[in-house]
Amino acid sequence: MRTKTFAAAALLAAASLTLTACGSGDDSNKPVAVVSEEAGTEKAATVLDKPFEKPDLVLTDTQGKKYDLRKETAGKPTLIYFGYTHCPDVCPLTMNNIAVAAKQLPKAEQDDLRVVFVTTDPERDTPAELGKWLKGIDSRFTGLTGDFATVQAGARTLGISIDPPRKDKNGKVVSEHGTQVIAFSPKTDGGYVLYGEDATVEDYSKDLPKILKGETP
Amino acid sequence: MRRRLAPTALVIAGALALAGCGGSDSGGDGGSGGEAKLSVGSAYMPQPVSDEMAAGFLTVTNKGGSDDELTSVSSDIAGQVTVHETTGGAMQEVESLTIPAHGRLVLRTGGDHLMFEQLKRKPKEGQTVTVELRFAHSDPVEVEMPVKAATYTPTTGH
Repeated sequence: MRTKTFAAAALLAAASLTLTACGSGDDSNKPVAVVSEEAGTEKAATVLDKPFEKPDLVLTDTQGKKYDLRKETAGKPTLIYFGYTHCPDVCPLTMNNIAVAAKQLPKAEQDDLRVVFVTTDPERDTPAELGKWLKGIDSRFTGLTGDFATVQAGARTLGISIDPPRKDKNGKVVSEHGTQVIAFSPKTDGGYVLYGEDATVEDYSKDLPKILKGETP
Repeated sequence: MRRRLAPTALVIAGALALAGCGGSDSGGDGGSGGEAKLSVGSAYMPQPVSDEMAAGFLTVTNKGGSDDELTSVSSDIAGQVTVHETTGGAMQEVESLTIPAHGRLVLRTGGDHLMFEQLKRKPKEGQTVTVELRFAHSDPVEVEMPVKAATYTPTTGH
C-alpha cells in the first residue's frame, strides 16, 4: 500500500514537472526567474571582516591632472571599480547601476559620494576617452588612467587580478575588467564591502545610504 | 553563487522540456538524429554608453535532434557584429558557439554576448535594432532586438 502511494506521488510530481517544463520551454526567462527568486534572499553585498586598505594610487584624471586617490577620497564614502571603456557588457552595466542608484540619493549625499573608475586598458583609455565615456554615465564620476603596472598593483591590493591587455589572433585588443566594486567607509577609509557583477540598481539603492554613513549594509 | 546555479537550472529545465514535449514534436524518430530546430527569444540590447559599441543578448533554443552552431551575426546598425565569450574578466571573440540538440545557447550579461561595433547611430531605449543570425546548418534567423535601459537585466526586468 505504502509503495503504491509513493509511486503515485512520484508520477504526479513527474507529471507536474513536465507540465511546467513544456510551458517554460518557449520562455527562457522562466528558469532564470526561479533561480533569482532563491538568490533574492542572498545579499548582494559581501561585508569583509578585515577591510582592505585604500590603494596608494596616484594616477591621471579625465582632466589630465594628477589624482592622488587616498588624498582626494579621504573621509569620503567611495566606490572603486576597475574596468575599461571598450567593454560593451559588464563595465557599463556596473557603472550605470551605480549611477542610477546614486541619483536617487539626496543632493548633499550625491555630492559626498565618490565613484572612481580605474581603467585596466590605459593605452586606449586616455583621459579624454575616459572623460567622454563617463559623461555618458554620470559626469560626476572620476575616471583614472596611467601606467598599467601601477593600476595592476593597486588592483592587486584589493584582491583583484588583472592581466595586461593583449592582442588576439585577429589583432583585436582583449582587455580585462575587475569583477568587484569595492565600497570604502567614510569613517575608516577601509574597503569594507564588496559587490559582484550581479549587484543590481536595487542593491546599490538599498545599500548606498548606509555606506554613506560607514554603516554595514 | 547565482552565476553557478543558473546554468544548472537551465540544463534541468531543458531536460524536462525534452521529456515533456519531445514526443509530440518529433513523432517516432526517437529523438536521436533529426535536424536542429532553432528559435530565438529573450533578445535585448542595453542602451550603450556611446556610439562606439554595444552588447546584445538572446537565447537560441534548439528543439531538434542535432547540434547547430551560431557562426556569424550582422545588424542594420553596426558595421560589425562579433560573438564573444567571457572567461573571468576577459572577453574574447570566438568563431562560433554551439546550440546543443534539445538544448539552448544563452547569451547573457556577464557571459557570452554579441558585440556590436562601428555603430551607425547610438541605439536608444525604446528603439529596435534588426539582427540576423547565421548558423552552420539551419537557415538564418532575423531577430528584432529591443533596446532596453542601460541597467536592464532579464532577472530584474528593468
